Amino acid sequence: MKYVDEYRSAELARGLSSEIASLVRPGETVRIMEVCGGHTHAIYRHGLEDLLPPEVELVHGPGCPVCVIPMGRVDDAIALTDDPDVTLATFGDMMRVPGGRGSLLEAKARGADVRMVYSPLDALALAATLPARRVIFFAIGFETTAPATAVTLLRARAQGTPNFAVFCNHVTIEPPLRAILETPGLQVDAFIGPGHVSTVIGTDAYRFIPEEYGRPVAVSAFEPVDLLQSIAMLLRQRAEGRCEVENQYTRVVRPEGNARALAAIDETMELRDDFEWRGLGTIPRSAMRLRPAFAAWDAEQLYTVPGVRIEDPKACRCGEVLTGQIKPWECGVFGTACTPERPLGTCMVSSEGACAAFYAYGRQRRPAEEPVGA
Amino acid sequence: MTEPARERCITCSDEAVEAVVVELDGLEAVVLVAGGHERVAVDLVPDAAPGDLLLCHAGIALERLERTLQTAQVAQSHKLVPAADGMGTTG
Repeated sequence: MKYVDEYRSAELARGLSSEIASLVRPGETVRIMEVCGGHTHAIYRHGLEDLLPPEVELVHGPGCPVCVIPMGRVDDAIALTDDPDVTLATFGDMMRVPGGRGSLLEAKARGADVRMVYSPLDALALAATLPARRVIFFAIGFETTAPATAVTLLRARAQGTPNFAVFCNHVTIEPPLRAILETPGLQVDAFIGPGHVSTVIGTDAYRFIPEEYGRPVAVSAFEPVDLLQSIAMLLRQRAEGRCEVENQYTRVVRPEGNARALAAIDETMELRDDFEWRGLGTIPRSAMRLRPAFAAWDAEQLYTVPGVRIEDPKACRCGEVLTGQIKPWECGVFGTACTPERPLGTCMVSSEGACAAFYAYGRQRRPAEEPVGA
Repeated sequence: MTEPARERCITCSDEAVEAVVVELDGLEAVVLVAGGHERVAVDLVPDAAPGDLLLCHAGIALERLERTLQTAQVAQSHKLVPAADGMGTTG
């Protein structure tokens, strides 16, 4: 159930659209990056770009949790299923991400025991029903999803479930933002901050963006009026000479985040020295591993994980899409060799990926002289 | 009021959904979402109460949302809160 009517009001959207148009100077370009894949999806789904003046350009960022997982980690997960006693559980999207040895779905077709779950708690419950097997949860996601894994680990310890483990690939939002902000020649003027991640980490976590990099941030919810209001907030800051973190998603996000969620993450996980991101390369201290106290549930301690590193396919330009350097349709394989049915790159896998969102909602609106995938 | 079609990403990704608490059993809550009832863990929002609107993701509640007029009407229609409280604009 969603409670969204007031956030989809056409009248409010039209009013905000007019205000946005009044806040830009004719002919200038203001580039605003939405960091979160959920925002990317909403922008395309609701056709929000059609409500913006040509001076405002939306740039899609790295916040799709599936899109940023490198192919090597998929191969590492498949390697875990080579053990005949292992059942690997993960979210459905992760089953479709291609690695060097194919996807987890293809591994399942070859006989590996791979199960789809909606929650790590489902994987823990599965372990209880399969006492002779080890159920490993292939954990991915930003700070939105890490609390679910943390709560599951705390429950596994409390229940003393010995045949459950986590293959931890949780990532954090600040390091990739810094990587983008430090990109030479960066052409992003402002940021729409993630909504659900911010529920956990709070809006204060983004203060480094205005303070160190001089770009304003508006943490936003996901409905059309929310996103338009966030864009208006950013442009208003600019017009008034302000540069700060503003919170549009006040109905759930607090400056300090959810202290219980942060404590659960901190109790169960610690930062890795470095982690490979798709399209962004290796970023120091950008991902989580389990703390030694949870070694009994840590797949990387219980099994030999090969640590595969694979170059992305040469034709795939996910990296440039993830960093906002090109639009999805500028990739040569978009809509041809790479489609949601048979994705080549991760941005086409998840519905939050910029390529999948544009494929689903945006491609019919492009002018005929700019053929998709050309 | 009609309930919008369920938009939950079947594969989780980074989406969170809003759901009304119907009943509580320790750290498990039965919540009402489009399409029916589900169980979510409320370890991170332990003071959740029936009628509260929770932001849920991957089987756990991440936070409690302010109750808007519309959500109050939903809660009231399911007899989760008394009318006097239910019609408030904040929760």
